[in-house]
Amino acid sequence: MGNKVLTVCPYCGSGCQMNLLVEEGRIVGAEPADGRTNEGNLCLKGHYGWDFLNDPQILTARIRKPMIRKAGTLAEVSWEEAIQYTAEKLTVIKEKYGPDAIMGTGSARGPGNEANYVMQKFMRAVIGTNNVDHCARVCHGPSVAGLTYSLGDGAMSNSIPEIEDTDLLFIFGYNAAVTHPIVARRIVSAKQKGATIIVTDPRKTESARIADTWLPLKGGTNMALVNAFGHVLIAEELYDKQYVEKYVEGFAEYKASVQKYTPEYAESITGVQAAEIRKVMRQYATANKAMILYGMGVCQFAQAVDVVKGLASLALLTGNLGRPGVGIGPVRGQNNVQGSCDMGALPNVYPGYQPITDDKIRKKFEKAWGVALPRKVGFRITEIPHLVLKENKVKAYYIFGEDPVQSDPNASEVRETLDKLEFVIVQDIFMNKTALHADVILPATSWGEHDGVYSSADRGFQRIRKAIEPPGEVKPDWQIISELATAMGYPMSYRNTEEIWDEMRGLSPAFAGASYRKMEEQGSVQWPCPSEDHPGTPYLYKGNRFTTSSGKGQLFACEWRAPLEQPDQEYPLSLSTVREVGHYSVRTMTGNCRALSQLSDEPGFIQISPADGSSLGIEDGQLVNVVSRRGRVLARAQISNRIKTGATYMTYHFWIGACNELTGDYLDPVSKTPEYKYCAIRIEKIADQLRAEQQVQQEYEALRHQMHVEASPV
Amino acid sequence: MNNVQPKPFVIAEAGKCIGCKACELACFAVHNDDNGVGAVVGTVTVPVIPRLHVIRTESFTLPVQCRQCENAPCAEACPVQAIRQEEGVIVIHAESCIGCKGCAMACPFGAISLYKAYSNGKVVPQIQLKDQQHTPLERMAKVIAYKCDLCRTRDYEGGAAGNVPACVEVCPVEALSLVHPDTRLSRSRTAAAMRL
Repeated sequence: MGNKVLTVCPYCGSGCQMNLLVEEGRIVGAEPADGRTNEGNLCLKGHYGWDFLNDPQILTARIRKPMIRKAGTLAEVSWEEAIQYTAEKLTVIKEKYGPDAIMGTGSARGPGNEANYVMQKFMRAVIGTNNVDHCARVCHGPSVAGLTYSLGDGAMSNSIPEIEDTDLLFIFGYNAAVTHPIVARRIVSAKQKGATIIVTDPRKTESARIADTWLPLKGGTNMALVNAFGHVLIAEELYDKQYVEKYVEGFAEYKASVQKYTPEYAESITGVQAAEIRKVMRQYATANKAMILYGMGVCQFAQAVDVVKGLASLALLTGNLGRPGVGIGPVRGQNNVQGSCDMGALPNVYPGYQPITDDKIRKKFEKAWGVALPRKVGFRITEIPHLVLKENKVKAYYIFGEDPVQSDPNASEVRETLDKLEFVIVQDIFMNKTALHADVILPATSWGEHDGVYSSADRGFQRIRKAIEPPGEVKPDWQIISELATAMGYPMSYRNTEEIWDEMRGLSPAFAGASYRKMEEQGSVQWPCPSEDHPGTPYLYKGNRFTTSSGKGQLFACEWRAPLEQPDQEYPLSLSTVREVGHYSVRTMTGNCRALSQLSDEPGFIQISPADGSSLGIEDGQLVNVVSRRGRVLARAQISNRIKTGATYMTYHFWIGACNELTGDYLDPVSKTPEYKYCAIRIEKIADQLRAEQQVQQEYEALRHQMHVEASPV
Repeated sequence: MNNVQPKPFVIAEAGKCIGCKACELACFAVHNDDNGVGAVVGTVTVPVIPRLHVIRTESFTLPVQCRQCENAPCAEACPVQAIRQEEGVIVIHAESCIGCKGCAMACPFGAISLYKAYSNGKVVPQIQLKDQQHTPLERMAKVIAYKCDLCRTRDYEGGAAGNVPACVEVCPVEALSLVHPDTRLSRSRTAAAMRL
């Protein structure tokens, strides 16, 4: 019989531990393990999401050999040729335009922390730029910026297991049942144990359904509502005066800023009843332990960082920090998006959130890496289209484990950007939409085929382990990057991931004690873990000592700004992009799992209210055209009475119904995160449904052909 | 047996269900061993056919499945006696089923669905009936009724493969449970007595 390999699920930041069942070198099943966050449970992706490793070629094909674009087409080449070619091209571009003309990404998905450490080291030490960023920018980037400002650390202040032991859960723009089923499990447990549940969401999510109070706000009005919450806490003297006096700064300015946001004023903007706003703040302020959880409904707006700071201010005003079962939790979406931030795949910090602008810290890294390091903060991925198309500043893009054509807003602009760049490197496991624009494709090992560490959403380092041999000639990401560095004249070689990890923690005080051995013994080590004898930290800010420069929490409020593109006569509906439970991210993984892809497949759905459905004459299940100022796609109508009239929702997993052909690229001014949650669209009814169904099949076939799929559809 | 012992059935709690459909996939996998599901070699060529269905309305989310009725109306409606009670489970015998839809109409829970029959990863064709839309005429697929059989092919009652049907085992929020009415009733009676 086969053997079991203990690892961590590659979907979402819940960090569920699982065993892969391996027989004759192939994975035949998965079963839950007793991890800190999942305690013997997995969701459907954990149970059935490993099938992509068998390369069933449903959506795309696995990349097995390096490729170089020769005379317009991608041709398979040897590793030697691919590395040499890439190194030469990068060197030429660096000499001609300077290091800041080269951009690189980290990867928040399968590769793991070590590969991200090596990538940011490559960009900083070998290329000589801080131009390294990753998809946290289009996700919880506002949390990193906002919470760092308010509290000091841009991560969950609490732990996933604590969720079920709080007295009041305040959930804002976060649909756990779909994004993190195993976190949703804790919410259900909290409810069962008697906690009060308050949910703010324009849709009736599963959490909203079981909530004591659901505040169905109008999309794009978060800041007005959060300000009104602060207004009530102060006006009704519900806030903890002693706590604010001792541990918090900025009260006078905060009070002045929220002055005008009476619940009645907020009601006129948000549609949430003033009495409900008052009621929930009285509950929040008087609960012994109250916890905030939030998600993309906060972060994917052009006013996102402000709202994060506003939510943190509510916790500060009521003293809900620095203890178990309280705090504020931005629940990270991708399996290792916390980790790629931890590893410094960000343009302003080294590993362990150490600022690149701090001379002392930069000197430490210069000494360790043996080179002079750049001082200028790098570019962010969402700025790249503008920098390429308008400012002509970026010439080469090293895209590592990301698919911006599918995941970033305004896809046609992303394609134009990639085509204008002189040199595009794609390093991935599957062919994807971005790879179609690559000059070089470097094939990497997948989750299940390499070792490493992932960081769960609640700062927990956990080991992932190799279960099977990789196919073809693929190599681990860190090895590919090391070979490239060596070819560019900066010798880099590591024997294994533990050696990389030890180098990293030697340079990162917050992670210094989180050794492989400790992870092995404890199963999970939550940072900060400053020394070998430290067990890790389940919740932050013990004793109400914040890690801001003054050591105190910072209150913040400001004016509400409406989303930038409003519905009008031509485009009368708003569109928000969301997730669905059986699929993950750009769908190269779950779209290549037989069971998961059968449960839900192309062209994807658009959720419409019954009133809008009937006024457009559209029935549930019919295909429709969805049109914005930037694009047009086919999608299947899903009429749902959990949706408000005037609002629509599309999941971003699907390739034919690709909502990012429609979304706009308006950015938050601080974090540069796009406004995925609000743009204007119209829906067009299709008279000939049969023909539209055929069109979906043809588009699917064409896509599969582009993605190097050879077999016929299953 | 002197008196009727109510038979066990699986039921879900709407207050816990998060609508993730892990139960649907687990159900599909456990009933399709011979169709290559869950195995690495051989492609799964059959569609996902769960025997319980997650329903989402404005105020409810939960899977609906067979109650293993004591006076099963589906069995009453079956003209060929393809539906029988075996060891406390209402079972449809696929080989006898004529696809008349009577059981599906009779079931007040909507727990019976009709789909094509599959064997060894392939559609089971009919012996005679052909489809007039196709030239040359193609033998039509056999269509049969599917419903929850409490995973009776799985060795679940105290067996090594686990104690409960696959849907109950896989549910991450423990929304599903295998209810033994006798135990539940006697527990309720005890609780009621304590309150008196």
